[in-house]
Amino acid sequence: MKVIVILGQVLDPAGIVVKGKAGRIFVNREKYVLQPADRCALEAALRIEEAEVVALPRGPLPDDDVLRQALATGADRAIYLTGDGFEEADDAATTGVLRAAMERLEGADLVLTGATTLDAGQGQLGPRLAEALGWRQIVGAWQAEVSDGKVQAILRQEDEYVTVETALPAVVTMRPGALKPRYPDGVRLINVYKDVGEIAEALEQWDVTELVDEESLRPLLERRGKDFPPERERGTRADGAPAEMAQTAADALRQRLGM
Amino acid sequence: MDFTLSPEHVALRRMIREVVENEIAPIAAEIDREHRVPMETMHKLGELGLLGVCFPQKYGGMGAGEMGYAILLEELGRVCASTAACVGAHIGISAMAIHLDGNSEQKEKYLTPLARGEKFGAFGLTESGAGSDAAAVRTRAVREGDSWILDGGKVFITNGGYADIIIVMAATDPSLGARGGITAFIVETDWEGFSVAREEDKMGIRGTSTAELVFEGLRVPQENVLGKVGEGFIPFMKSLDMGRLTLGAACAGGAQASLEECIRWAKTRKQFGRELAHKQSVQWMIANMATEIEALRSMVYRVAWLVDTDQPFGQLAAMCKLYGSEVASRAVDAAVQIHGGLGLTRDYPLERAFRDSRINEIFEGTSEVQRIVIASNLFREHGVRVRP
Repeated sequence: MKVIVILGQVLDPAGIVVKGKAGRIFVNREKYVLQPADRCALEAALRIEEAEVVALPRGPLPDDDVLRQALATGADRAIYLTGDGFEEADDAATTGVLRAAMERLEGADLVLTGATTLDAGQGQLGPRLAEALGWRQIVGAWQAEVSDGKVQAILRQEDEYVTVETALPAVVTMRPGALKPRYPDGVRLINVYKDVGEIAEALEQWDVTELVDEESLRPLLERRGKDFPPERERGTRADGAPAEMAQTAADALRQRLGM
Repeated sequence: MDFTLSPEHVALRRMIREVVENEIAPIAAEIDREHRVPMETMHKLGELGLLGVCFPQKYGGMGAGEMGYAILLEELGRVCASTAACVGAHIGISAMAIHLDGNSEQKEKYLTPLARGEKFGAFGLTESGAGSDAAAVRTRAVREGDSWILDGGKVFITNGGYADIIIVMAATDPSLGARGGITAFIVETDWEGFSVAREEDKMGIRGTSTAELVFEGLRVPQENVLGKVGEGFIPFMKSLDMGRLTLGAACAGGAQASLEECIRWAKTRKQFGRELAHKQSVQWMIANMATEIEALRSMVYRVAWLVDTDQPFGQLAAMCKLYGSEVASRAVDAAVQIHGGLGLTRDYPLERAFRDSRINEIFEGTSEVQRIVIASNLFREHGVRVRP
């Protein structure tokens, strides 16, 4: 079976400081990492036995690093998508590109990607793609396994975990932190970054203008400015003996809950 | 002139950093306290291919060159000096000796499992009467038909307690000494006549095995002679040069860890109403540390580049080891000072780092030996042969 994983990158949170007051994000070290939820999707894909895993980018990427990472970690093939007009693509435009890319790949049985992005909190790419393909979808899975032409996933609903199942083909989006991702393999890593050996041929570059027309690359999303969420109210501090502190806390809770 | 790391080395560092943070940092204090070799770490590093980082892919290695090896040791040194020492002895002087001087059968049989981490290696040179004076080796090897019989012993052998393969330096002709009298043998530790007499209880790098080895009528087949009979000193000197470079790398990592601890501490610790970060005395210590670390790192990468481009590197490797070990010691000393009393407690990693850093000025050639090497090379260029 063929599994598509869609991967994006994000500024390493360890290298940035968000300052609400200044209304800015300070980038101390400009380093990008694989989106954590997408990394779980890759792990879920690699755990499927005898699957051909093909990595595609989650929209326009400045370089092919996450795709090389995917190959180093065990993906069989990766396609870097670039081209005029793709730089501004949003999730809507990307959906069309991915669908066209999958057509050129002669279809697939399963698409795995992250349920949310770490920076923009976007979770729409998976569902959009499922709609565009007319496939079933499972959103926000903690685990995804394939057997007998079906995909089984674990979801959290309210206070419990439930197992859901759907027939393939399907789109499944994975929660960040759902699975412990494996490390890349040393030899694959060196070869894919050095562009030597068989693995170097597994990375291809496709021009999106050959896949879709100019019109469908136009983003639906328009950026009108940026703002930080309003600062949160400070909590109240309880002082005194434990009994007094408990009373203060209980009163505050009662008030909050309107009891 | 290009100082950028290649894409494969950037990616390799990212991978190693993650492995180190997830697998090694959490147990670094424990292996020191329990005085145990982190075998689980060694196996994990082997599975990932990291124990063959600098060896050709043909022999189970990763093919990341000396630069890759320097990055590995730098990242290991940053979180756990013990693990760095275990890996350094395994790759840098044991497997490296076979890589440099083994024939293709020896590489197939011994380098491949070492590179894959299926077997572990050690290097046996030091004896109770021979350390810095490496030519004074007393372990004897006597030819008997198609094999050699080894009698004697070694002390302070890193990885000695658990290694499967040990390169043993023995005198094949004591009258010749270093020039033609010493031979390197590849010894499998499950052979009859090999035993581990004891393990040292040390102040630092407590997560390593430092063993005393005994050879009694140990029979080594002729095909396990590494290099040529009587010329064991040559591969030994070469792999030791390589070892020096990566020891410098491990020191850069260790010093970097001290620096990071200090910055973290100086940001939060307040005295006289202000964080230590605002105190000039602390700023100066931190600035000195950072400057020395950068200088050291430049040296490390330059030596690695010399090795990877087949240029002479011995002199600079000696300088790198000498400077690195002293930078690491100065850094950890200043870091303890900045942390005050807490620097002496086991709640902070500096106490361990302080004990761990001392050995760097001793093993793989003491600071004194490095200075002799450096000075001899300098004088030789001017036509003077210095005698130790």
